[in-house]
Amino acid sequence: MAGEDAKTVTLTTSDNQSLKVDREVAERSILIKNLLEDLGTDGAEEIPIPNVNEAVMKKVLEWCEHHRKDPPASQDDDSDSRKKSTDIDEWDQKFMQVDQEMLFEIILAANYLDIKALLDVGCKTVANMIKGKSPDEIRKTFNIQNDFTPEEEDQIRRENEWAEDR
Amino acid sequence: MVHTLFNLPLELLESILLQLDPPSLISASYTCRALYRIASNDPEVWRSFCRNYFRLWAPHHHIAAKFAGPLSAVDWRSLYFQRVRTNRETSRLIEAILSSQAHRLAHMSRILGFGLDAKETLLKECACPDDAEDVLARRYYAKAALDMIHRESAIEVWKRLDVGEDIPMERALGAYDVFTSISPDVDFDTVHHDISRLAEDLLKQNPQFQTTSARDQASIIAGFLHTQGFRGVSNASYRALHNSFIGYALRSSSHETLPLISVAIFCALAKCLGLDARPCGFVFHVYCIVYAPKDYTLDGDYKPTSSSELHSMYLDPFRSSEEVSPGDLRRVLREMGVPTSDHATFLSDTTTREMVLRTARNIMNSVQTIRQGQVHANGIASPWPYQVPDIDASFYSSIWSMMLLSPNTPTQLASNTTINNTPHRRQYLPYLLDHMQIHHPWDVSLIERHAIPFFSGQREGLQLESFVSTMRNDDALATCIKPRGGIGAGENVRYYVGQLFYHKRYHYEGVITGWDTSCSQEEEWIEQMQVDKLAGGRSQSFYHVLVGDKSTRYVAEENIQLAPPGTEPTPALMQMAGRHFKRWDAEAVRFVSNIVDEYPDD
Repeated sequence: MAGEDAKTVTLTTSDNQSLKVDREVAERSILIKNLLEDLGTDGAEEIPIPNVNEAVMKKVLEWCEHHRKDPPASQDDDSDSRKKSTDIDEWDQKFMQVDQEMLFEIILAANYLDIKALLDVGCKTVANMIKGKSPDEIRKTFNIQNDFTPEEEDQIRRENEWAEDR
Repeated sequence: MVHTLFNLPLELLESILLQLDPPSLISASYTCRALYRIASNDPEVWRSFCRNYFRLWAPHHHIAAKFAGPLSAVDWRSLYFQRVRTNRETSRLIEAILSSQAHRLAHMSRILGFGLDAKETLLKECACPDDAEDVLARRYYAKAALDMIHRESAIEVWKRLDVGEDIPMERALGAYDVFTSISPDVDFDTVHHDISRLAEDLLKQNPQFQTTSARDQASIIAGFLHTQGFRGVSNASYRALHNSFIGYALRSSSHETLPLISVAIFCALAKCLGLDARPCGFVFHVYCIVYAPKDYTLDGDYKPTSSSELHSMYLDPFRSSEEVSPGDLRRVLREMGVPTSDHATFLSDTTTREMVLRTARNIMNSVQTIRQGQVHANGIASPWPYQVPDIDASFYSSIWSMMLLSPNTPTQLASNTTINNTPHRRQYLPYLLDHMQIHHPWDVSLIERHAIPFFSGQREGLQLESFVSTMRNDDALATCIKPRGGIGAGENVRYYVGQLFYHKRYHYEGVITGWDTSCSQEEEWIEQMQVDKLAGGRSQSFYHVLVGDKSTRYVAEENIQLAPPGTEPTPALMQMAGRHFKRWDAEAVRFVSNIVDEYPDD
């Protein structure tokens, strides 16, 4: 029995809910992985995750479960090499079809839990919601208030005129 | 708390912005003050735009050093804006060049000013779709501008060599590849890259290389090059033009080279591997001298000495990896009748400048051989679209390099210390101007920037200045219009601009690029060409025509035979035609005019 137990861990979310998951799945999160290593336990204790609530955590774990066999992210991450590859694989796209509030929660959780690939998918999803849109459409999408004065708006447009027809 | 875009930590917001393309980022920054501030001030975003949206940079940007340096050392946003503006301006100038014959030189000159920054835009124009409305003209002028930019970057390398800068030999020789735009995938960087790659491969195959003696290293390098396929060239293709082009030799599958280029590749590779090897300017052949490090023998023995002379040996990497004995070389010199006192000159190492000049002469020899072999019975041959490198471009490259780098005559050196290259160098000017006016008049900018300063204070300098200003004035004038209607106009001119024809007597293919209602040449020409013996004499219409061998001619109407329906122009003519025409209209058997500003009714 001990062998089987070693393969699962229990996470306690900010709203005090316990979630039992396979250790391999939980370790998609570098934060949890390091924590488990530091504790040196066989996963018997509960791991507190004070920044993430149950709903979000479940969603994050769903992603981790699907990607449990992915190779670990390469360490030599050149920030500029991310380039413009905003292609997201199909499953991830579907997974990210959530309301905006949840989307930002997932991004924040991925950032906190240190799950690079998920953070990446999240940022790309938001980027795709901006791409190809006019400023007005972007404002509508994200509920942004236009706080420019007409003069400022004019000036910015002139400054960036070159970008208009590209 | 309700989560919105703005509740995200700045760092995450930046990660999102980094995923955007420039227009989307601009759009996002228009939405509100906060986003505007973040988007405009995030250097990482703008640096990534610089990196991802521009592949090629003019050398003056020192872009590799900028990318490697601290993020904050560069105003990336301004740099990005500057490059975008350059691209746009280049596109705009190409449109202007395509739309009118006036100011073409001025527009070309402005593109030249952008240097390699304009290259990507020009490449895009060169790759315009086959069904573009002005496909021939667009490709022609984009390529013309690009070729000119390449020529200038080669000229700049030779100029730096001339003032004594230490230019790597493969770069100075690679300038010929660049000057002639030998192929889209050869430039200064590829030459350097190919040499480094050879060095890496050699070290992989010979891990003990660095610990062996100079003699063994030389032998390993020579043997390695041999197995890589660098085996000089057979007698049969010795004179082939491409044998003088280092970049081409490195990339081609045959790796054929003249001895000089074999030695240059050997020396460049040796240098890359830490071995001191230099070319030796022997008579009719270039050898290579390999030097042992100071205080060591060629066999790697430590032998301290106060002498500055290094142990050395001769190699002929063109022929074999065997050492060449100095005795043999001296014997050859004696047999050729070279006085003993001059032997040292031929047996010591030579300069990069000398290698570049020798290459110029080799190129010139090949060009002459090819040109002599090319003259057909009727004097027209146009195999050039299939020749790499281009013969005319090669000729032009050697004229430029010889003008920039030719040495003083020995007597001058002996008699006065002030160096004056002009007398020797001015002899190349007529060839240079002649070639340039026929093939690329826009090179007037290169003359202005690189030849005039060279002859400043000399008679040639003043002549060049007036030549340039005449060309510039003509360029600024509106083209003289030749309509068909009205008094004295071309209503009786039978054929039209753009029509494809064959010469009735000489049978060559040509296209009409202009006409006169009667022969407008000078009396001397008319006599020489026996125009008055033609049935229609000098009062018939005459046509300016472009021929596939790159020449322009002047043909009487009675000698023109229009090409029958279904005829297609040869590839040579198709490429040339872009200078005057937009595209080929197969149905009309005629090129569509791009010179309606001059011939509005054609």
